[in-house]
Amino acid sequence: MRRLLTAAGLVACSMTAAHAQTAQELTKTDTHYVLNYGMDYGQQRYSPLTQINADTVKRLVPAWNLSYDDSRSEESQPLVYNGVLYVTTNSATIAVDAKTGKQIWKTKVEYPPETPRVVCCGIINRGAALYEGKIIRGTLDAKLVALDAKTGKVLWKSDVADMKAGYTMTGAPQIADGVIMTGISGAEFGTRDFIDGWDPADGKHLWRTYTVPLPNEKGGDTWPGDTAKYGGGSTWITGSFDPELHTVYWGIGNPGPFNASGRKGDNLYTCSVLALDPKTGAIKWHYQFSPNNPFDYDSVAEMILSTIDVKGTPTKVLIDANRNGFIYVLDRTNGKLIAANPYVKVNWASSVDLATGRPVETDVSTKARAGEMVDIYPSILGGKNWEPGSFDAKRGLAFYNTLNFGGHYKAVPAEYKQGEWYVGMDLSNPWAWPEGPRGYLKAVDPMTGKAKWEAPSDIPRFSGVLSTGGGVVFSGQLTGEFEAFNSDTGEKLWSFKTGSGIEGQPITWEQDGEQYVAVSVGIGGVYSLFSGDERLAAVPPGGSLWAFKLLK
Amino acid sequence: MKARSGFWISVVGLTLVAASIAVAAETTTTTAALEPTASDPALAIKGRTLYATNCVHCHGVNMVTPGTVAFDLREFPHDDHARFVHSVTNGKNNRMPPWGDILKPDEIDALWAYVLTGGKL
Repeated sequence: MRRLLTAAGLVACSMTAAHAQTAQELTKTDTHYVLNYGMDYGQQRYSPLTQINADTVKRLVPAWNLSYDDSRSEESQPLVYNGVLYVTTNSATIAVDAKTGKQIWKTKVEYPPETPRVVCCGIINRGAALYEGKIIRGTLDAKLVALDAKTGKVLWKSDVADMKAGYTMTGAPQIADGVIMTGISGAEFGTRDFIDGWDPADGKHLWRTYTVPLPNEKGGDTWPGDTAKYGGGSTWITGSFDPELHTVYWGIGNPGPFNASGRKGDNLYTCSVLALDPKTGAIKWHYQFSPNNPFDYDSVAEMILSTIDVKGTPTKVLIDANRNGFIYVLDRTNGKLIAANPYVKVNWASSVDLATGRPVETDVSTKARAGEMVDIYPSILGGKNWEPGSFDAKRGLAFYNTLNFGGHYKAVPAEYKQGEWYVGMDLSNPWAWPEGPRGYLKAVDPMTGKAKWEAPSDIPRFSGVLSTGGGVVFSGQLTGEFEAFNSDTGEKLWSFKTGSGIEGQPITWEQDGEQYVAVSVGIGGVYSLFSGDERLAAVPPGGSLWAFKLLK
Repeated sequence: MKARSGFWISVVGLTLVAASIAVAAETTTTTAALEPTASDPALAIKGRTLYATNCVHCHGVNMVTPGTVAFDLREFPHDDHARFVHSVTNGKNNRMPPWGDILKPDEIDALWAYVLTGGKL
């Protein structure tokens, strides 16, 4: 029936049709479109396009560049529909002609000037969702906004949470089974976090699932006293969706404060993945990567969905290169652990018990919990931070920008005050830097954690990764170089120096017979703020969008 | 350049006004302004704690920063206490958020004492 109505709409009004966009289209992988955060519902960030390949990529040249008139961190993933590209910054939503780079409309976002006080790690927006002619996005001061995709006019605006209590929004919404789903940030400010469901038609609130249960709720016994009230568990990266299973997989952030001494117990559902029914927000199952975590091993980053061969059986899996240094493969039909292996140096745990699913902690964790200063691997920024990887199912390889450094960790007391940093870690000397590269782009076998190849970088890469059927992997440097690598060998095939650091998420699409690649550029995220890496003094901020195609 | 001149004029004006009306009442503040590099160690330690809960997530660990995304506080002119108080209280350039409703004047002075150490406390 919906298809019939849509068809009727197409005939009746071509203007509307140009900006309509249906639930069914969201499940397809038409290479003319980029309709999902993560390039598809499984967040594989993989395109079968082959025009730009290992042989032709050397002819890749800029097609256009558009200034964002914004100098914050640009981590947004653009969407593409019917020749129009939709992209966000913290300060605006923008529609761009995908072929020419001309701005079609721009709608500013305003938020109270106090808002950056409660943003832990950069002034950021990571993207929008597109549904039935609406562009839907969050704002830094925790509001959800729907705009008319044709005009940029605001259609509705809903309050999500109170910024003054420490809540902010940076992630892209998800659309699953006709429901808008959104996450929230705030775990560094003593918030108690959640995932929300909304009605796309009018922004009406449908449900809220807290990621930290109170004492009288299921799982509430994993938090002593009233610690759950400030327990964090933020949800700042978009979950993945399996339309066949009607299940959304959403990663949950760190507990608050980092100092775990006052919150003995597993602290559900922090550092976990939740399998949710998008219609109701009901939790179908959970898997906790890091129980009672002291090290900020936030588990929000992308949950890649694929079907892979496990002991001869094609299995619906979820792949997560967790911040805690292990890469996990779960059976996503039931949450059962299939494999968990280190993909970077790890010393807080020796392994993950496949029977119980729990990490086997080392004396490093024991000492840290006792209040001693320890050298910890990975650091609080993780083996990989938020920056999303890409999965090439044909090659069986996941490409990740990994971090090659540890940290000095010591828990200190934390005092909760509304709207203030609530961490409980001595940050006077937090990093243990290696000699040489601080990061590697790695091609990882998810089942073993072993890298087929790795491409080093002195200053670690913090961009998203894109892989293609052309055998090319795209990534960006914090010093501004947009790079292409051979998927099989890791050989660097091409590089172009953009005007600022790259923290964006590259995409690719096909238009009028040509393959385009685009990426947001603009430094200002967590590494530039916390690392104290003064080599970045030579990288000016300045947001813009770059698009590339082959020189004819 | 024009805007910059205007800014300095207003800072000087603010300083003169502050000096003329608050000499008696705000001895500590005035002293800090007149002897800018003489950071009170106890005050600076308090400032370091306030910095860790309110400032570190933009201005960097121990104030070490590339200085591009947020202002490098190690570069803050030590003879411009008034500009510091004004920026912290009211925010700046729609980037630095205002803190006047959270931080009390004595806490901003503690932060100033810490800033004068260049993060090397």
